[in-house]
This record gives sequence, C-alpha cells and structure tokens, in this order.
Amino acid sequence: MKKLLSILLALLMVLSLAACGQKEEPAPVEEGEGKVFHIYAWNEEFKGFFEKYYTVPEGIEVVWTIVPNEGTQYQDALDLALMNQDSASADDKVDMFLAEADYILKYTNSPYTQDVKALGVTDFSNTYPYTVEAASDASGVVKGVSFQCCPAGMIYRRSIALDVLGTDDPAEVQAAVADWDKYREVAAKAAEKGYIMTASYAEDYRVFSNNTSSPWVDANNNLQIDGAIQAWMDQAEDFVAKGYTLTSGVWDAETTEQAAKDGKAFCFFGPAWYYNFCMGPAFGADAEAAGTDSIGDWGLVDGPQAFFWGGTWLLAATGSDNPTMVADVMNAFINDEELCTNLIKNEAQFTNNQAVNNKFAADPEFGNRYLGGQNDTAVFAAGAKNIKFQNQTIYDQGCNEGLQNAFVEYLKGTVTKEEAMNNFYKALKEKYPAINVPEA
Amino acid sequence: MKNSNKKARISLIISRILAYGFVFLLCFLCLFCFILLILMASKSNSQMQGAFNFRWGGHFMENLKNAWNDFSINIPVGMVNSFIVAMSSALITTYFSALTAYGVHVYNFRLKNVIFTFIMAIMMIPSQVSAVGFIQLAYKFGLTNKLWLLIVPSIAAPVVFFYMKQYLESVLPLEMVEAARIDGSNEFRIFNEIVLPIMKPAVAVQMIFSFVSSWNNYFMPALLLTKEKYKTVPIMIANLRSADYSKFDQGKVFMFILLAILPVMIVYTILSKSIIKGVTSGSVKG
Amino acid sequence: MAKENKKKHRRSVSYAKWAYIFITPFFISYILFTLIPQFLTIYNSFFENYRNGLEQIGPNFVGLGNYIQLLTPDKNGTIDFLRYLGNSLSMWIVGAIPQFLVALLLAVLFTSSRLNLKGQGLAKTIIYMPNLIMASAFSMLVFSLFSNVGPINKLLVSSGILEKSFEFFAYKIPVRTIIAFMNFIMWFGNTTIVLMAGIMGIDQSLFESANLDGANSIHVFFDITLPLLMPILSYALITSMIGGIQMFDIPQVISNGKGTPNMTSTTVIMMLNNYLGISKNYGMSGALSVMLFVITGILGMFVYRSLAKQYKD
Repeated sequence: MKKLLSILLALLMVLSLAACGQKEEPAPVEEGEGKVFHIYAWNEEFKGFFEKYYTVPEGIEVVWTIVPNEGTQYQDALDLALMNQDSASADDKVDMFLAEADYILKYTNSPYTQDVKALGVTDFSNTYPYTVEAASDASGVVKGVSFQCCPAGMIYRRSIALDVLGTDDPAEVQAAVADWDKYREVAAKAAEKGYIMTASYAEDYRVFSNNTSSPWVDANNNLQIDGAIQAWMDQAEDFVAKGYTLTSGVWDAETTEQAAKDGKAFCFFGPAWYYNFCMGPAFGADAEAAGTDSIGDWGLVDGPQAFFWGGTWLLAATGSDNPTMVADVMNAFINDEELCTNLIKNEAQFTNNQAVNNKFAADPEFGNRYLGGQNDTAVFAAGAKNIKFQNQTIYDQGCNEGLQNAFVEYLKGTVTKEEAMNNFYKALKEKYPAINVPEA
Repeated sequence: MKNSNKKARISLIISRILAYGFVFLLCFLCLFCFILLILMASKSNSQMQGAFNFRWGGHFMENLKNAWNDFSINIPVGMVNSFIVAMSSALITTYFSALTAYGVHVYNFRLKNVIFTFIMAIMMIPSQVSAVGFIQLAYKFGLTNKLWLLIVPSIAAPVVFFYMKQYLESVLPLEMVEAARIDGSNEFRIFNEIVLPIMKPAVAVQMIFSFVSSWNNYFMPALLLTKEKYKTVPIMIANLRSADYSKFDQGKVFMFILLAILPVMIVYTILSKSIIKGVTSGSVKG
Repeated sequence: MAKENKKKHRRSVSYAKWAYIFITPFFISYILFTLIPQFLTIYNSFFENYRNGLEQIGPNFVGLGNYIQLLTPDKNGTIDFLRYLGNSLSMWIVGAIPQFLVALLLAVLFTSSRLNLKGQGLAKTIIYMPNLIMASAFSMLVFSLFSNVGPINKLLVSSGILEKSFEFFAYKIPVRTIIAFMNFIMWFGNTTIVLMAGIMGIDQSLFESANLDGANSIHVFFDITLPLLMPILSYALITSMIGGIQMFDIPQVISNGKGTPNMTSTTVIMMLNNYLGISKNYGMSGALSVMLFVITGILGMFVYRSLAKQYKD
C-alpha cells in the first residue's frame, strides 16, 4: 500500500509540476510582430501545402491548432479562441484561420475578422470573383482570401456514355446534359439500358442549392424553401420512384461502390478534390495493378448548371500580432506564380490564380489519369468564372444537411412527405433557436 | 434405487450439456465481435470492397503502420493523453473515495447520517445535469485544454464511495482501528497503513473501473479538449465518422478501433480474476 | 448495535474532527465540480441564452418559458421530449428483458452446486469483457457489420437468402433491435456477476434443507432464490433503467446523430446534445437537464429505498 501511496504522491507532484510548467512558458517578446504565428484549421491539407511551399520568415514559429470539422467541433474551438482573443497571451492569439463556404459568413460578418486590404492584400486581379465575394462582409469589406478554388462539374463514366449516348466525347456529352430537362432525358435513356443516373439521391443537391434565387432564411428570420431546392426535391422524388438513383448518401459506401469497376452509375457531381481524393480509392487506385479499377473510364463536363463545392478560405483574425505575415501568406497563395504552379502540378489543386490556371488549361500535355488524360483544369477554368456566391446565410450547413437527412427518409418510404418536412423543421429549431420555422 | 440414481445421473449429464452449451453460445457471442474486428483490421481497403469472407487479409501490419503513423489522427499522442487522464483519475478517485468512506464509516460525528444520506441521494443524478454548467464555467475561466480538469473532479465519486463503504462494512472490524489507536498510531497512518491494505481488493476493482470509464469517456473531453496534443482516444475515434478523405481506408479505420480498445483489453485480461472477484464480493452487501 | 454505539460514543467524539478532515476533499471537489455546475444548469433553465452565429443572445429571464416550450405538443399532439424519452425506454426494455433473463439463468447455473460447472472463471471473464469496450468503437464496428455493403448483407446475398441488401438502418424495428442487442451484449455479463453475488449471499442452509426436502431446482428457484434476490434484482433493474434513460453513445453513432428512422432512435440525451451543439443553447439544455434530473430523481428514490432497506437488514 505504501507503493500505491508513493505512486499517488509522485503523480501529484508531476501534476503540480506540469501545472507550474504551463504557467512558466516563455514570456512573449513584445517587439514589433509576435514570434508565434498561430493558425486554426480543420485538417492537415493546407498545413501540408504551407510547409512545403511557403517560406516562414526567420525567427517565427508556426503553431497549428487542428480540430476536425465533425459536428461543430471546429467552429466551437475557433469561436472560443476568437472570443477570448483579447485576454489571450500574444503567443496564443489566433493570427489566421481557415473557413469553409458553409460557415464563412458567420466569421466574415463578425468583428472577429479584419480587412485584409488594410493589411496589404490588394491585388485581386487574378482571383475568381466568387472567392472574393465569399470572403467579404455585408458591406463589401474583404476579410480573407481563398487559396483553392473548387469549381465543380459532372463526372461521367465514358463506357456508359458510349452505350447510352453513343459518344463519350466531352463536348457531345455536355450538349446532351446542357440543362435539367435534357439531363432527365439522359437519365431515362440510361435506365432503359439498365444503368442508374447517379449513385446517390443527393449527388446533384449542390448543383441546385448553389443556384438558388433566395436565401434559406429571410430578413425576418423566417425559413423559406427556394424554388431550386423545391426542384431538387421533385427531381429526387421522381428519380427514386423511377429507379434512376439510389437512396444512399453521397458518402455512403454503397454510393462509392458505384464508382468501382462494376459500377452502374452514369455520373457523379463534384470538384477536383472529389475525384482525386475521395473517389480515387473507389475507382480502385490501390487495385490498379490487379486490373479491378475504373481509372481512365471517366470524363468531366460542366453539367446542367455551374456550381462549386468546398474550397478553403484563409481569414485574418482581429487582434493578430503578426499582421505582416498574415498578408504575406495570403498574397503568396493567390499571387505567387511559382507557388500556385506547384499546387497544380504536384498537388492536383485548382488554384485561385486565373493566370496560372489558364496556363495549364492551355497545355495539351496536362491531363488527369482518372479522366483518361482529359485536361480537367481547362474545364474548370472555363466554368469557374460563372460561379456565384449568393443568398448565403449562417444557417446553410444545417439547412442543407437537415433537408437531405429528413427528405431521404421520405424517399426511402419510411415517412410521409409531411412527416419528413416536420422532422426537418424540428431538427432545425433545435439547432438554431433563432430561425422561425413553420409549425411542425 | 439404482434405476432412479441412473436417471438422476442422466438428467444431470443432460442439464450439464445444456448449461455448457448455453454458456458457450454466450461466450462465443461476446468473442465474435472481437474476432471479427481483428479479422477486419487485417484486410486492405480493396479486399473489403468485394464479397465478405472469413479469410485472414494479411495486411495487419500494414494497417497498423498506417494507423500508427496517420498524421491527422495521432493515435500515439491520444493514447498517452488517455493514459495520463485515466490512470490519474483511477488513483485519486479510489484513494479519496476510500478515505471518505472510511471517514463516514469509522467515526461518529454529528453530520454522519446526513452526509451518508446526501451521498446516497446524489449518486443517481445524471452527470449530464452538471455537464451544461461545468462546460459553461470551464469556458468562462479559460480552462479548456487542461487535462487536470478531467482528473481532479474524480475526487468526488459517489458511486465509488458507496462501494467502498459497503466493502468496509463487511471487512473492517472496528476493533482493529481501536487497537491501532492504542498503539499510538495517528488516524492518517491507520488509514494508509492498516485500512488501505485491507481494502486492496476493493481498490483494485474500482481502479480498473474508473480507469475504463475514464478511458472510454467521450462527452466531456470532446467539449473541453480542442488542441491536437491534448486529445484523448475516444475523440479521435468519433472523428472517424467525418467524411474526410484521409479516412477512406477502411482497414485503417478498423485498426483505429482495435487500438482504441486494446489497452483496456490487456489490462483487463491481466487483472480479470481479481476484478470478477471484486465485483462479486463488493457489488452487494453479502 | 445501537447499544454498542452509545457505549463507544464518548470515546469516538474526540476523533470527529478526523472524520471532517477525511471527507473534506470529497466535498470540496463535489461542490466545485458538480454542485455549482448543477445550480448553474438549473439557473440557466430560466433564461433565454444561446448563440446565433457568433452573436450571443441573452441571458434574458424567461421564467418557465423553456419548460413550456419543451412540453408544448406539436400540431400532431406529440411532445418530442416525452417521445424521445419513450424511445430511450423502449430501446432499454428490449435489451433489458434478455439481459436480466439471461443473467438470472447464468447466475443460477454458475452457483448451482449440483451442476458444478467447470471453467467458470474463463466464462465470467469473457462475458464481462463487452462491458469494457468503448461504446462508440463498438457502435462503429456494429454499424460497419450491418451496413448495406457490410459483411452481414454480403453473406446474406451471396448465400442466396436475400436477393439484394437489406437496409437494416432504415427501419424502426431493426435499428431498435440492434441498439437493444448491443446494450444486452454490453451489460448482461455485469448483471450476471451482480446477481451471482446476490445468490451467493443467500444463506446456503436454505438451499441444503430444500434439497433434503426433495424440492426440484425450479421450485428452489421460485420459492427461495428469487424472493431473496428481490432487493438486489430491483436495485439492478432500476439502475439499469436510469442507464437506459441516459442512453447516448450507441444511437448517436449508429444513426450518425440523426436518430433515424423518423426520430425513432433519437434519445433524450441526443436532444440535449443538439441543444448544446452549434447554438450553445444553455437555456433549453438547462431545462432539459432539470427534467431529466426530476425523472431520475424519482427513480433514484426507489433505488435509495431498496438500498436503505438492504442497509438496515
């Protein structure tokens, strides 16, 4: 028992030492800019690019706080840090943080982000307009930049297109799906041949939700369902009833399976990261040697409507003690040609620098092996100019996810349409007390 | 007479067979999941895409290497953090609960009954009731990302207290305490040197229980620990559900699950005898 | 006993200060980390207090407003809070029935001197093991097993039992059964051991005399074992029920936080989790916690009574 006691005592000592140690961290040197550059992010993607291609100024240590996006964890951690920014020690202050389109508005429209033009980020001539709109607050003050651009398109399966449309040429396929009516005709033809149009009922959701004419929540905080969202619901209902699609979610294994060798799906919708990183394993990247892959059997076109999906914005935190470096990082990722070239060439990114993108778009040697050598940068470079960032609210993530989750239950036949909508309203009210929903 | 003996023997044999069969079936059910988990952890992602089979995948070490070195889920760091929290909580919760139980059990003092009734009453309050306020306070005082905040509150564990009290009642003769006092020992020494050794089985049981529950705890740590270097294993496991492309390797996912439960399984296998004995002897007043 | 206490009383008084010294750490920790937060939770429940984006709303005093909102029926006349409570309880009960039946049977088998089963130590070790697994990890595993492309569906299809995958997680009965079954697997070993302890605590001479009287094992079980086991059994049942009300990890991971299908696997704690999520709704989550506190408090009183009875005996 003495042993136990001594362990206990030793432990208490260690703990108290640890507690002391925390207090005795070196005091910040208050000369000009801080010695610690603190970045908040939700995954390692940007960190990887940053460490590879950005040269950190002498004497500055870069500290990363990485909290996964799952649930609201990242935003919780970030909110907490931003709200305590004033009382945080200089080294703990957030200098820059990453945000996604789904919730960027929450931060740009708050006093926790600052005007980057004042910091020295002034040249936006090469960036895509929608990325700047997204990073601006209601009065047009720009609070950050996007380092990657995520225009998306329709990724179709060449062998199925050949069977259904008699061609796998991108231009002809694009003509066949140029609008939603034509798209539906193709779906019917594909079904006749025993294929499905998409592998998930929500595969095309973002195409619709990116092209709404009104925001999810109006000025009086009332929930409203836009015509585009309604159109998606009608189409999903129709497609499921006719067997043109499946009721599995975009990320379900059942859906990704349809991208494998024996898959039956005509098309998927997504940006470059979707096929390069998410569908790669589904295509069979690790089974390529065994010949059980679908690599090269894919093509990329704009699809019925222009849309984007994802993207990562770098926002400047108010109270940063490294404003010069914040501006320098932002400038590097949008205007440094060498850096942007590396991102495209080595990392399969679509950058936020039109000049560099266009250079690769025009290069006939440049292509993607998943797409059978097709130059995807060329497709995106043309489509990216048409993307709009409009009708956004801080509730979009919850609304988009909530509607899909509730509506699929109707599609599966487990609830009535009315019950599905009621479940959507209720879940929304639990998450966002400020929204007025129809009585459920 | 002989005949009925024979009949009784046959019926005994049949009941034994049935009993063994029943127990075996349940044991199999419990082990099945583990076997399956280990099997799945041995398969590569593409092996899992095809039809399922019970064959060994042969990618166990590869998955282990990938999981161990994964850069977004730093499982070695998580295991160290989990271990610090779980071990410290286990030590202080058992020590202080035993101390409190001893204090309430051995001494006669004015508030004795009040305190005992009080602890019994609060035993059933769901921890979620205090969680909301606790989180609010922790945020307010900037106490996030402090491992000690997950450890120190375990000093007060009503359920462990109750167990210890029950145990003391059945094993500690008050005469022993009296005798030690006559020998001139002070009260602290009596507790540490005489009572604690007697309570060893109870302490062992509660230590493993608090270790396990702390190791598996998700709700609070997930809300309090935001920095990567302080995260515990369950937070990392929960993150596996996020649709992040780096987690698309199913073999790695099963390996993460295996790594998360392995330490507890190892500790349990080593200590299982005394644990079962402890649960048996202390769970209820004999 | 009482007499003895009185005799000792005078002598023990001088030691009373030690009692206070020994219990002080417990109470300081309890007050700081549990009691004050609990009061804060209750206090919160009377205020509108949440975040809208990064903007803090409140705290504004709303009296019983949060409770009223929680208990107001929707247009179909259902009160979601009660519905989710019902979900928790029905999932609990479906698991608890086999849990307690199997545990009772095992406890009787293990303690039977007539059967004298070998290898008990190993069996107990194995059946107790699931109780120690991380519930979220276990749920992840079960989810992967039963998913549309998981091994179970693949086996069913390849063996020709099913034509195509059955979507286990889209229907109320399979989902609830799976959750209940997981609870059963995780807890029956624990209950077995607790009940065994209870049976072993019964005076052995009762069994011996019953055997001499020629009673068969079924009679012995219903006439001696069960009645004498009642206090422990009811204690185990009610604590298990309280655990059922607090069910969270398993349905949360199995349904990915959605409580599907049609909110039939949403539990009360999942509702609490939603309130505490993005909007940090301390008001509503406070009110919900207080309601939980009242319900478990009532159940806890039964536990307390059965314990107190046992304590007296």
